[in-house]
This record gives sequence, C-alpha cells and structure tokens, in this order.
Amino acid sequence: MIHTVVELNNAYKSYKLSNREDIPVLRGINLKIVKGEFVALMGESGGGKTTLLNIIGCLHPLSAGKYFLEGENIGIVRDDFTLAYIRNKKMGFIFQQFNLFSRLSALKNVALPALYASTDKRERIQKAETLLKSLGMGERLKHKPSELSGGQQQRVAIARALINDPEIILADEPTGALDSKSGLEVMEIFKDFKRQEKTVIMVTHTAEVAKYADRIIFLKDGKIIDNDYKLKSSY
Amino acid sequence: MKWEIFSMAFESLLANKTRSFLSMLGIVIGVSTVIAVFAIGQGAKESVNEQFAGLSAKSIVVMGSGAKSGSTSSSKLDISDVDLIREQSSYISSAVGMIQGNGTINYGSIDTSSSIVGTEVEFIDIGNLKLKDGRFFTDDENKEKLVILGSDVVDSLYSEDENPISSTVTISGKKFEVIGIFEESGSSLGRISKDEAIYVPYEVAQSSLLGKGGQLMINLEADSVDNVSLATEEITSILRTEHKLKDEQQDDFKIMDAGSMVGAAQESAALMSTILTLVAAITLLVSGIGIMNVMFVTVAERTKEIGIAKAIGGKQNDILFQFLMESIILSTLGGLLGVLLGQITIPIISYFNIIAMESSFTGPFLGFSFSALVGIVFGFYPAFKASRLDPVDSLRSE
Repeated sequence: MIHTVVELNNAYKSYKLSNREDIPVLRGINLKIVKGEFVALMGESGGGKTTLLNIIGCLHPLSAGKYFLEGENIGIVRDDFTLAYIRNKKMGFIFQQFNLFSRLSALKNVALPALYASTDKRERIQKAETLLKSLGMGERLKHKPSELSGGQQQRVAIARALINDPEIILADEPTGALDSKSGLEVMEIFKDFKRQEKTVIMVTHTAEVAKYADRIIFLKDGKIIDNDYKLKSSY
Repeated sequence: MKWEIFSMAFESLLANKTRSFLSMLGIVIGVSTVIAVFAIGQGAKESVNEQFAGLSAKSIVVMGSGAKSGSTSSSKLDISDVDLIREQSSYISSAVGMIQGNGTINYGSIDTSSSIVGTEVEFIDIGNLKLKDGRFFTDDENKEKLVILGSDVVDSLYSEDENPISSTVTISGKKFEVIGIFEESGSSLGRISKDEAIYVPYEVAQSSLLGKGGQLMINLEADSVDNVSLATEEITSILRTEHKLKDEQQDDFKIMDAGSMVGAAQESAALMSTILTLVAAITLLVSGIGIMNVMFVTVAERTKEIGIAKAIGGKQNDILFQFLMESIILSTLGGLLGVLLGQITIPIISYFNIIAMESSFTGPFLGFSFSALVGIVFGFYPAFKASRLDPVDSLRSE
C-alpha cells in the first residue's frame, strides 16, 4: 500500500527583515511525497528549494498552511523537544558542505545523533562502525574530517544521516562540493536508499544529479511550477 | 550520555588552550585570594587571641584620657588613685598601677631598646608573669633601683651561660640591679610585649626614668566576672569624685574591661577580614564576567556547530548542557588550581613572616564552591543563548 510520508497543504513561509518587512519565500506549496520515493527539488537559486527542505526537515516553522508528516500535522508544533526528536529519529540531513564536527573523529561524528537519541555507547559505536564500513570508510574510523577528502567526508556525513535509521533523507546539494567522480559515487549510495525503502528529498541544480530521482519538482519564486518535471532527453 | 557531553566539552576547551587558560587564570587568582584572605583573617583572629591570652575576663584597665598623646597633663589620674580604688571599691580584688615608656638598656657592651614598665608590688599577682629566677621587689623597695627583666631582654643581653641575677645593667644612663627574670609569656600588655619589657618599681620609674612622660595605666581585677560592669561603674564614680569632675564634664580617664577590649580587637579583625573577603569576592565576580565573555565568543565561533547539532537532533537542553559544562569545567578547574596555589602560598608567606596567616578549611571550601557557582551563573546566559539559536540561521553562519 502506498502511503504519503510528507504532505504540504498551501504552505507559506516568509522571513521578517530587520525593518519588519515580510519577505515571502514560499507561496502556497502543495506537495505529496510517498514512502520510498526519491524526489529532487530543482529551480533557480532563491526559488525556495532549501527553505522547503528545511521546512520538511523541521528546522523551520511554517508561516501558514499545513505540514503533515506521516499523517500528523506537525506544522503547528513549536515545542523544541518534539521537533528535535523528529529531526533526530525521522530525518537524516546531508549537506553540501558536509557539516562535520572538525574536532571529532569520523566515528564520533557518525555516532553523535545516536548520542542525542540516548543510545548506549557500545551500541552506537558499533552501529557507526558498521555504517562507515559499509560505505567503504572502514580504514578511516579515527580520522578527523580535515584528514579526509571531500568524497570521504560526504560518506561520513551520509553515515551520520543514517545512524538512527530515519525514514526520510534530506540532502541539500549533496554533490555540490565534490568532483564529478566522487559525486557519482555519492549518487550510487543514494540509489541504494531506494532498496532500503527510504524516502529521499534532495535539492540540486544539476540535471546530471537530478536524473537519479524518481520525480523532479520544479520551483520558481516560491511556487511549484511543475510537480513532475521531465528533463530533456539529452541527459 | 552526560559523560560523553562532558568529554566533548573538555575536548573543545583543549582545542583553545590559551584562551581556556587565560579565562581560568581569573578564577585561579580569585580563589587563591579568597584563601589568602581567609588565612589572614584567621591569622588576625589568632593573634588577637594570643595578645589577650594573659588577660583574664575579670581584668579592667584605667588610663588617663590624654594617654594616647603621651601626656597625662589633661588627666588628674595619678598613682594615688590606685590606693583610693583599693580602699573604696567593693568589687575589686586587686589593683596595680603601671607606668610605661621606652628606654635603652645596656649590659656590658650590648645595648638594646626596650619598654620600661614601672609598677607596684601587686603586679606579680595580676600581671600573669612567672618568675624564672630571682624575685620581685617588695613594698619597702619602692625607691630602690631594682629591675626584673622580660625573657626577650634577657636573651638579647646575656649569653646562655651567664646568670643575670645580681648583675648590674644601665637603663637610660642609670645603674640598676637585676633581681629577677621572667619566663617567656608570649602575651602583651596593651601595645607592648611582656617579654620585651623590663620592670622597675613605680616611683623609680617616675622619678628617674620616665618622668612626667610616662603613661599611667591602672590594672584592676574584679572579684568575679559577673561584677565587672558593676566595678566599672563604681570606679568611674570614685574617680570622678576624686578628680572633682562636674556632671557636665567628661571623664578625664578611660576605663575598659577585658571583655570589651577583646571584643573590640576581634571586631576590628573581623572587619578587616570582611573587607578583604569582599575584595576577593569582587575578584571572583570579575573573573566570572571574564568567563562569560569567553563563553560568548565561543558560542559565536561555534554558531555553525550549534546549527548542525540541532539539524541532527540535538535538543536545546543538549546544547545548553554542553556549553554550561564548558564554563563549569573552566571555573572548577580554575578553582582547584586556585586552592592549590593558595595553600602553597600560605606557608611561604608565613615563612617570611610578612603577615600572620593561618590556613583554614573555610577558605579553600568557600573559594572552591564560589568558583563552581561562578561557572554556573556566568556560564548559564551564554549557554542559554546558544541553545535558543535558530537552527537555519546558525547553519548559514560561517
């Protein structure tokens, strides 16, 4: 049975500037993403892709509209404890700039979300190790991010996103800071998420990356202008 | 889980060693100051106690009110008042007059300056001094040039194998026979040390040594502690009558009992201690502000980390706890070092005899707990600010 994981109804988001002027970023987004789907968000910069991703990832509250996560309206939730719990257990974030903790080893970086989830130490270290090994990083467990290449850092970040076994992977230009070879390797890992029935929502502006997605959503000026955008056949 | 956050806090402090050390230094200095201050306070208290150790609670002292300026001219207080008190007072068990001054004492080729105490026979009963050798003068010897030496004077004038008894010393140019020496007492008589003084008959002191410049001090002992205040009132009225003071005139003498003297001295020691403690507390407060400042810088620097931590599921409390932990580690570690430094300093300062210090438990305990408190209080606000940062804004910062 197909079930909707993320559903946005008429979602608005605006930022307040210091002069109290409202800058609208998202203007009435309607969106449904089902379990196991790999969706790419495309569009011009400033179109609202990242804001949409942050809203789905519960980093931002909505200004207006509804956000159902697995059927529950969490757009109205403001309580830090609940939001942190959702980010921790249901979501896995992957960023363009990896965003690893520079002082922590690869292993500790990966284990950190499990620490926030209060998993006991042995279990989380074991899980982190298994994940890193499965991503070909078994030899780099004790390395600090600065001792790793971009591709390797992104693998660590991917392992970190996976440690609490989230349902949704949120990726903001995951290949944006990588050379094309490492980028392709990362996308191969993303393809694997499909087998694990994870829902993936990825912001990208390159068609080459977007083609890995099941569906491309195209945004412009804070609105979805195409819910199932077709890439030109040349890609 | 908490331990893990503790070790992360520790690691991030280690990543900024110089900064951590400098902000800790304030606490180190603050805590060691607290300890030093307590040691000084304790030292002052003990030296007060020591000073008055020879003083019985029944003691009462009467002095001419011009005594401080070194002249008795404004006061009619006289040695004859001592006899008067002996005769008329019903609460006094013993009374002795004393006159004090300074002079040089010479034996053989050695000179030393010492305090001269001219006194009466009764001194031996009330003075809390024990004869080590020889005897005290008698009532008949009031005009004889006889002297009893304090133990420090003996030590500076005589070598160990010499017997001072029956030797002749020169005091301010006049020859005196030594008839006795006192044991060491460690206590004092008002502002002078009993061991550094020499004791001669009252009349001799007044006529040949000190003249009118000497200050008369009448030492009295009440018959019981309960009667001290009654005795004080009684003596006041005896002396006022004798000195023919009118009602509107002030006393021309000062009368103090041991209890209030010790009380006053202790009060001033306590006051000094309070003032110093305040200074130390201010030092700690300032170091707390230093820590707060450093924590704000740290939070600003790690804004991005805070954003990441939130994105991967860190709760506000996790972030608050981590930053608070850092300031607590800084302040308690600083506190421990401060305790160590303070405890090392006390014996060194005591050794060089700079100021009386006595180590206490309260100083280190208070210093350390206060430092921990400073870490919590001054670390809380930056940590709270950090925990409430917006995740997206934090992630965007570089």
